[in-house]
Amino acid sequence: MPDGPGGSLLALAIVFAPLSLLSFGGGNAVLADIATQAIVVRHWTSAREFADLFALSRAAPGPGSLLATLIGWKVAGLPGALAATIAFYLPSAVLVFGAARVWERWRGSPWHTAIERGIAPIAAGLLLSGGIVVLRASPAGWPVWMAALLTTAALLRWPRLHPVPLLLAGGALFGALAVL
Amino acid sequence: MVLRRGWVDDKSFLAMLALGQVIPGSIGVKMTVLIGQRLRGAAGACVALGGLLAAPFAIVLMVGAAYAGFGEHPILHAVLDGVAAAVIGLTFATGLRSAAQGAPGIAAWGIVAATVVAVGVLRWPLLPVVAALAPLSIGLALIEARGR
Repeated sequence: MPDGPGGSLLALAIVFAPLSLLSFGGGNAVLADIATQAIVVRHWTSAREFADLFALSRAAPGPGSLLATLIGWKVAGLPGALAATIAFYLPSAVLVFGAARVWERWRGSPWHTAIERGIAPIAAGLLLSGGIVVLRASPAGWPVWMAALLTTAALLRWPRLHPVPLLLAGGALFGALAVL
Repeated sequence: MVLRRGWVDDKSFLAMLALGQVIPGSIGVKMTVLIGQRLRGAAGACVALGGLLAAPFAIVLMVGAAYAGFGEHPILHAVLDGVAAAVIGLTFATGLRSAAQGAPGIAAWGIVAATVVAVGVLRWPLLPVVAALAPLSIGLALIEARGR
């Protein structure tokens, strides 16, 4: 990999563009690989920074996650943010543009149904994996696991809970514990 | 968009939603591209996607800059840990719910478990895992469909 700003932009594109095409069901599906690449493989962020950027990307409004944007910004400033965002959103957008009509024409064929049903459990497994990998990378240890699992249980019990108060409550609780 | 602007009718809106999990990408991005495409072709899709991403892009960078300005602060880290925990709880709940809805049957749960072990526990890279499991999972779904 060449050094310098050009090299890091290229590296961002090489990491995020393939993940764009694997993000079945949304950007969260590839969270596990983003974490592994950013922390372990490329050393773009420390575990601490990754945990912070992850939380920030979700607290800010946007389609799915702009985690890629924040990581790109951390690596190479504004050009990095642009490169990572384009690499992460453009390939799947192009695919939708090209494939949507073909896909609709197939509707009702056994393959159509089988692909839909076959991708669903992988997408679900990827979501769960993303959460696990980020928890394992979190420097805060077991309290974060506990809080995450409690939130999961609460959401499964009361599916109508709104996410924003949950995020605020999590932040307030951990912040208050840190002050004490 | 369906109600206010009349850009798409109910039926094509639902068809777009059904593209859901098969084509990768966030649902917002996919819908945006499709609606832009339907209205104005390639140019429409580009403008719509740019419009969707521009404001969140600017906001998330401002948030990032504010974070960098704060520097190392233990309370800030703790607050963000709390937010992250809640976000992961949301992610788990979504994953479990979509597994339960989209994956009836032992075979599908096996695929969910295999994905979690490979990617979540062993931290294998996504691409080979998906490349191996997707044909298997689609094949199982085909066999299951024939059996019924």
